[in-house]
Amino acid sequence: MSEAVKTRSAPVQGEGRELVRAYRIMLLARVLEEKLAALYRAGRIKGGVFLGRGQEALSVSVGIHLRKGDIFAPLIRDQAGRMAFGDTVLDTLRTYLGSALGSMRGRDGNIHRGRPREGYYAMISHLGAMLPLVAGGLLARRFRGESGVVGATCIGDGGTSTGAFHEGLNAAAVEKLPLVVVVANNQFAYSTPTSRQYACADLVDRAAGYGVAGHKVDGTDFLECMRVVGGAIAAARSGNGPQLIVADLLRLVGHGEHDDAKYVSEELKTSHLGRDCLVVAGEQLLEAGVVTAEELKVWRDEAQEEVDDTAARVMREPEPDPADEEWRAISSEFLEDFRG
Amino acid sequence: MNVTYLEAIRRAQEKALADDPRVFIYGQDVGAFGGAFKATKGLAEKFPGRVLDATLSEDAIVGIAIGAAIEGARPIVEMQFADFSTCGLNQIVNQAATLYYRTGVSCPIVVRLPSGGTAGGGPFHSQSMEALYAHYPGTIVLTPATVEDAYSMLLAAVEIEDPVLFCEHKFLYNHLKADALPTDALPIGKARIARPGRDATIVTYSAMLHESLAAAKELAGDGFEVEVVDLRSVKPLDTDTVLASVARTGRLLCVSEAWPWGGVCAEVVARVTAEGFGLLDAPPQRLNAKDTPIPYHPALWGTHRPTATAIADATRRLLEI
Amino acid sequence: MPLVPIIMPQLGEAIAEATIVRIIVPTGSPVEADADILEVETNKAVMGVTATCTGTITEIVAEVDKSYPVGATLGYIEVDEAEAKRLGISTEPKPVPVKEPKKTAAASTKVEPTVTGLPVPAHAGGASFLSPRMKARMAELGMHAADLAGVAGSGAGGRVTIDDLERFLEDIERNRITPASSMRVAVADAMRRSWTRPLATVVLPIALDKMLVHRKAQPVKPGPALYSLRALAIALGENSAPAGRLIGEKIVHPRSVDIGFAVEAEDGVLVPVIRNADQVRLADLVERYNHLVSLARQRRLPLRDTGGSIATVTNYGTFGLTLATPIPLPEQTLLLGMGAGEIVPRWDPEQKKFVPVTEAAFTLSFDHRVLDGGAAGRLLNRVAELLNAPEQL
Repeated sequence: MSEAVKTRSAPVQGEGRELVRAYRIMLLARVLEEKLAALYRAGRIKGGVFLGRGQEALSVSVGIHLRKGDIFAPLIRDQAGRMAFGDTVLDTLRTYLGSALGSMRGRDGNIHRGRPREGYYAMISHLGAMLPLVAGGLLARRFRGESGVVGATCIGDGGTSTGAFHEGLNAAAVEKLPLVVVVANNQFAYSTPTSRQYACADLVDRAAGYGVAGHKVDGTDFLECMRVVGGAIAAARSGNGPQLIVADLLRLVGHGEHDDAKYVSEELKTSHLGRDCLVVAGEQLLEAGVVTAEELKVWRDEAQEEVDDTAARVMREPEPDPADEEWRAISSEFLEDFRG
Repeated sequence: MNVTYLEAIRRAQEKALADDPRVFIYGQDVGAFGGAFKATKGLAEKFPGRVLDATLSEDAIVGIAIGAAIEGARPIVEMQFADFSTCGLNQIVNQAATLYYRTGVSCPIVVRLPSGGTAGGGPFHSQSMEALYAHYPGTIVLTPATVEDAYSMLLAAVEIEDPVLFCEHKFLYNHLKADALPTDALPIGKARIARPGRDATIVTYSAMLHESLAAAKELAGDGFEVEVVDLRSVKPLDTDTVLASVARTGRLLCVSEAWPWGGVCAEVVARVTAEGFGLLDAPPQRLNAKDTPIPYHPALWGTHRPTATAIADATRRLLEI
Repeated sequence: MPLVPIIMPQLGEAIAEATIVRIIVPTGSPVEADADILEVETNKAVMGVTATCTGTITEIVAEVDKSYPVGATLGYIEVDEAEAKRLGISTEPKPVPVKEPKKTAAASTKVEPTVTGLPVPAHAGGASFLSPRMKARMAELGMHAADLAGVAGSGAGGRVTIDDLERFLEDIERNRITPASSMRVAVADAMRRSWTRPLATVVLPIALDKMLVHRKAQPVKPGPALYSLRALAIALGENSAPAGRLIGEKIVHPRSVDIGFAVEAEDGVLVPVIRNADQVRLADLVERYNHLVSLARQRRLPLRDTGGSIATVTNYGTFGLTLATPIPLPEQTLLLGMGAGEIVPRWDPEQKKFVPVTEAAFTLSFDHRVLDGGAAGRLLNRVAELLNAPEQL
């Protein structure tokens, strides 16, 4: 799917092969994000950097179970899911490094990138706002008589408190749309802990209130994420209406690279939630006997090489030029109001 | 035949649904009930599955329309009252209005806003939102004042590839009638000289057109020929037609039912002053609703918004400058 | 007994009219307050129209299946006076005020344009106020406010309107019209700018005999204007304050006594300048003076020899004029003029008889903001003294 993932003649068959593909995307996302953090600290990034370290297993599980023709509206910690859905190292770096050749052409940045025509919706900063959008996309597909289509969107624990989250999920439930809402409960909305975010025992309890299927998953467990998310997406695809997945995990980085996350306690970091899902995934694959330790190392080196080469190439690319910019906010040129 | 402004809007939607399979209507009570004002009466029955009752969720309603538009649909959203669109503001201004600029994918949605005051409407059922939406880049804001424009501009709005805020005036719904639906129309973005004159120009739109025409008629009795320009669309704003009129008359009064601060009148006055200073015989004036919430009682409301009498008075003062 | 009209009510927002579905209480029947009398249908719903009071239906004017606008009278209820009074019911049909409030004096003064305190003085009459439109049109034509002096204004406060201007332009088309030369336009501009100040002139007849004798004795004869120039230069060298310029609230004094003199050239006047004229003796100025006159007449005056002077001398006597009140240059406070010399009898107290003397009127035109008549007179008297002692020049 991702051109970043090179096909290898690995002796892995069936389900194992998909797990390997997922793992390699997680790994690529991790290496790419480490690069972004390094570039950020080198002052090369235009704007902020918001990383998904610790959420790759959940995120990749969403992207990898979506197909061409599905809709995906990722949020800020979904580098892995984005690449599983077709985003590339090249387009990611172009957006972060401010190349004029990226999909957003300098008009929007970092995690706001997308290609809506390809079902890859570009998030806005207002949390919850993407739920109704995906629902609407699915409604249009239904009008066209398409079935077997799924729309997935990701959000965090903080985002579940917005009105738009509620409105979107409720409306999708009323319309019985194949919407999969993936909540990464990473314990903090920026610095606000979950105790200041919601008062219910578990966010997944809300599924019943909306009349949608609820799924709970350990977000640090790669195999569980693949199983639960895969199952929920399949359920939506086969006409069972919206699915709410709540994954428990811990954000292993700050809200953004500008944040040292001092507010995260040592106790939490060393708890089960603080496990690194990428390490867990490697162990799980080794244990299952579908990969060797040597392969894991080689794949990391390959990912590093791809990321480094691509970053070097993008840094040579031109920046957007205000003199060439169209400065027009509507597509109907004849209805332009202010010119110039 | 006798067609009301409301019926024109209903008929335009009926035609859009019939002509274009991508069109659907989404809003509260728009289905079998036919809408709070009956603007979609009978359409759910005639076009099964394409006129959908929405949840009481303005954010979701607009968001769903945007998502559908990305996927190639042409949604028409009915806000029950323009006032409630503030609950969907985020989706309109941050999602729909930024989509094309950010991603290159246009967002062809029409959001119908039953706008403006009626007797007894009060603070939350009377607002005119055109300036608010026009403020944001990436929007088209239409303000039809006639039965003919209500019909032809709504049909044109459905064809436009960008987000359209269609500000239809509730007072005109049943008070305004025409003999027949139009067969042709001025293009969107062109203002219309509703009444020619030479002594002063009144620039206005929507229901205030009719108050302004009444004022112009009254002033004609005093020997003044006042030109009345119906903007039709506030964004884009047909500055050329306004300037051409001011060039003929040398005097400008801009009238709007909306609030004064940062409004359409302010924009018109700014453009005329900036681009047509040398056309002016007097400082341009504006007449808006008062800068308070819209009062409930008809006696207060009737003075809160500009009336023909107030417009005539303001025009007389302008002519004396 | 009073009749209370049955009014078509406002049955919902934006409803303009409703259709009568059924008459529930027929004419002649008694009706209780709040009971339904008629059933009407709007495009939203079917609803009852109720009685506002207890009484008897005397008439239903509305017909079934016909539509009536909001506020229309559908019929009448006859009530007794007591009931009508108790309810404060008007017996006049009064539609719901959906359009305009009554026009009252108070209402019309209360509704005002958002912008008040107009920046235009509405009392500014005639050509004293030019609207931006007028200014733009006049700039297009190269016209100035002064050109409108003869135009009667028909606008507010007697203001000259664009229509007045166009009529005036049309009217002057009937005259013979020739283009003004660029020299003429430049002089006009300078004079117009100068005329924005209050200007005044003082006059003093000065006997020239001593000067003429002195002049005859010179190998190269200086012109009378040069004598005057030199006399003015010495006077200003002694006290330059009268040549100061009023700028804002400050007097700006001259840096050097540079004096210009007017030379008539084709269709205009040029003003060459003699720099530091207070420091060069008359005899040494003659050649330079004559050279500058010749350059000016050929209109080949170099830039360095014009402009920057603090006063000007003009000899209008060369045109045979005995007295004139010329206008100083816009950037100068002083203009010394001299008229044609005439031989006139003057009483000689020593000889106790009239003797003939050659006399000319000297005028000093000045910016009255800077100088008063006394200061101007003292300066002119000093010039007279110097002209009567030509050997000092």
